[in-house]
Amino acid sequence: MEPLIHVHDLCKDYRLTDRREGVRGGLRDLVSPRRRDLRAVDRVSFDIAPGEMVGYIGANGAGKSTTIKMLTGILTPSAGEITVGGMVPWRQRQQYTRHIGVVFGQRTQLWWDLAVVESFRLLKKIYEVDDATYDRQMKLLDELLDIGKLLSQPVRKLSLGQRMRCDLAAALLHQPRVLFLDEPTIGLDVVAKENIRGFLRGVQEREGVTVILTTHDLGDIEQLCRRVIIIDQGRVHFDGELAELRRRVGQSVRLSVDLRDPAASADLAAVTAGLPVHWDDENGLRHVARFNRAEVRAADVIRLVVNDRPVQDLHLAEQPIEEVVREIYRQAAAGNADAEAAK
Amino acid sequence: MEEVTRADDATRFAFRDDRSRGARLAWQARIFGAYFVQFLKMRLAYRVDFIIDTLAVLFSLIIQLAVLSVMFSKVRALDGWTYPQVLFIYGFSLVPLGLFNLISVNLYGFADEYLIGGRFDRVLLRPVGSLAQVIFESFNVSGLSEIALGLAIMAGAGVKLGAHFGVTDLLALLFLAPGAALVYLGVFLGITTVSFWFEDKMGLAPPVYNLIRFSRYPITIYSLPVRFFLTFVLPFAWVAFYPAAWFVGGEKFGKVALLTPLVGVLVFGGAALLWRRGVRNYVSTGS
Repeated sequence: MEPLIHVHDLCKDYRLTDRREGVRGGLRDLVSPRRRDLRAVDRVSFDIAPGEMVGYIGANGAGKSTTIKMLTGILTPSAGEITVGGMVPWRQRQQYTRHIGVVFGQRTQLWWDLAVVESFRLLKKIYEVDDATYDRQMKLLDELLDIGKLLSQPVRKLSLGQRMRCDLAAALLHQPRVLFLDEPTIGLDVVAKENIRGFLRGVQEREGVTVILTTHDLGDIEQLCRRVIIIDQGRVHFDGELAELRRRVGQSVRLSVDLRDPAASADLAAVTAGLPVHWDDENGLRHVARFNRAEVRAADVIRLVVNDRPVQDLHLAEQPIEEVVREIYRQAAAGNADAEAAK
Repeated sequence: MEEVTRADDATRFAFRDDRSRGARLAWQARIFGAYFVQFLKMRLAYRVDFIIDTLAVLFSLIIQLAVLSVMFSKVRALDGWTYPQVLFIYGFSLVPLGLFNLISVNLYGFADEYLIGGRFDRVLLRPVGSLAQVIFESFNVSGLSEIALGLAIMAGAGVKLGAHFGVTDLLALLFLAPGAALVYLGVFLGITTVSFWFEDKMGLAPPVYNLIRFSRYPITIYSLPVRFFLTFVLPFAWVAFYPAAWFVGGEKFGKVALLTPLVGVLVFGGAALLWRRGVRNYVSTGS
């Protein structure tokens, strides 16, 4: 299938000016500023098919937001190409933005001083949504996001969670086919996060909207995205399915074993000797075994332990995605160090 | 990947915009009309502010008028220009100034609020021209009182001059005043646009704004270099004297007045092109 979003060798450089100290430094800055280029996004390529929901993750300053801002037409790339639905975002910005919805968690897209409903009416005009569609969308969005009570209030009086719900509704009013979400759950409490995630899942399943989501909260990714792209220092370090990410990093399962007696913990590792299992002692009674599901069956480990030691309790968990991502970063850093050494 | 059944038709996923140019223009006009209505609603919610603003503008205009009349109580004429003529030029100057003030408030705060404060991201996410959005997102309603007062002064001065204004003059006003307003807009837009490249606040706008007052006198009272400067470099002669000369300038300047809309389009067009380049150069703030 034709990709809906096509990104090839995308780069963005920022020109930074380093300031010198003191008055004399200030004067020298005026005459000969010290400039250098910072490459925020470095030859990023990916294709996204219609209907996909992709998590785009990375640490602060990794280049996530810069990529999103190029995809949405806000920033002009320094090099490389982007097409979304056959349009070049920065070049055809005005036509292009009619087809996309954007939510920035940090900043509202609504008019600060206007009542929410006034913002919606302006957006209705801007996106030329006809009355019937508008009414239908508003009804649907109210059912899903429960925004009915908020409509008459000015945006500045809303809580963060309320504002986010209104922002999402505003981004979907014109039924965009692509949705860009930059940190949509930032600063929200657990319940609000769950609401937003449930809503996004519904929209994606029901309407086949293509979604790109950046986040710090890996819970968002685990619950919403099948595909993840990990970016660090402007480069893509991983692009594939979440499950594949876990396999790649290895040791994707954690088995905690609570023993009945600390004495029973002696030489626990010998129980699984011969299998690639890594044991950690957490507090004498609790021990954690890590292993790769592709290599070792959890059932085997459990059977071996239970048959050999007095076990109080067992708990099996996937390795949290945070650790997986940290591992990817660690591998990336090691790779960079090797490359440096090779020079 | 999950097969999306609705996507079997590939063209469904190519974005298109089929509207004609005229339809898009009408649509933009409707949007900014709606912006203005919204703005008025918001302003009227703070009625006291509104009244104080209007009074402040009227007060400063009355002081300027008083200065003019005091000056002409000492001298009969200024380089051959009589009091009613100068008064007329002053009255005319208020009309384009009012038009300009009405829509220019956001230009002054552009660097701080839009570029540094990050509001420009949102502007670029909407399918409407970015410059038009910035200009029409806020209005300075006291511009309307300047326009009204300007028209009143022109009428009063016209009576003193004993001039007869016909339909042609009215039509000329409809071209000359917006043309002159475009000159203002172009100059200050040009200054604003600089902040796309230089982060530090330029602070150029206030001193330039103060130069406007020189434009209200007949240009012949200035030395040649100043005339040249006001005509070609910082073209403020085109915001009041040259266009007003259509009405009071006689043979010599009456024809020059008609160039005003052209100058306005050139100055504003240049600034708008600079703006386009600025947008390409826009560096958003960190998230």
